[in-house]
Amino acid sequence: MGEIPDFWRPEIYHPLSVHLPIGLLLAATAFKFISLFKSASVWKQGGSVLLFMGVVGAWISVYTGDVADGIVSRELCDPIVLKNHENASIAMAWIFTVTVVLEMINTFLRKYGLKLAVVVSMLVGSGFLVYTGHLGATLVYQQAAGVYVPSNDCSEFE
Amino acid sequence: MLGFFCTVNFKVKSYRYLFYLYAFRLTLSQNMVMKIKLKSLVVLFIAFGFAACGGIDVVESGTYSGTIKEIEAAKTEIYVSTEDGKTLELYFTDETSLTKDGQTVDFGMMEEGMAVEVEVVKEGKRLDPISVKIME
Repeated sequence: MGEIPDFWRPEIYHPLSVHLPIGLLLAATAFKFISLFKSASVWKQGGSVLLFMGVVGAWISVYTGDVADGIVSRELCDPIVLKNHENASIAMAWIFTVTVVLEMINTFLRKYGLKLAVVVSMLVGSGFLVYTGHLGATLVYQQAAGVYVPSNDCSEFE
Repeated sequence: MLGFFCTVNFKVKSYRYLFYLYAFRLTLSQNMVMKIKLKSLVVLFIAFGFAACGGIDVVESGTYSGTIKEIEAAKTEIYVSTEDGKTLELYFTDETSLTKDGQTVDFGMMEEGMAVEVEVVKEGKRLDPISVKIME
């Protein structure tokens, strides 16, 4: 009879840490996009706060993903998906990091063109974010990455 | 009447968006520095795109010669560049043997650039290393 593995395994911290930054960064992008057309400060300042928090969360997710990678790679049937997921996530994290730098520069310069560049950068970053999330979901739902698969008769749960 | 107001409202909105577009175009045309920044941004995005595509290759089961491109000791993982230019990502398993001159050696003995001969088994698209021989 098999044993149910401990829930708090090292690979568990990745799914626990990825979803909040996804929400933060997508919301930040929406806020900043709206701030191009609406003058209310909530869109601009709210977008900046969400962006900063999202970037911190994104790098934490990259770290937890790297930890999970060493464990799940040996069990996957197509590790190329994992490699693409990893590469896209790092590209995404760097794009949003560069965006934070642009945003900080624009705090002093206050140029419309730079504000536009921030939004464009965030839209591209969001594209990478969605692609990264899609690949992550593919790993879980097609290859059961990091997922414990119970025995056919569920005997370990008795 | 309602149709008329809707038409007028639509036209006003259209003019407003045209104005936004014109203002945007004007901002860009007047500020060459900003143009350069936007171009730099595009180049950066393309670079990120290429970085995101950098990958690994899958080969059939067999023995391959090459050099160690990268080592990730914490994951007991190596990347091997084969003689025909492919990159193999190999995670050591409990069954993987690592030898030099016929003697079993520790994972820490490997260094980037070393010539190796690897025997791999393809499982799905995953390559499991059966043996890794250090050739120098």
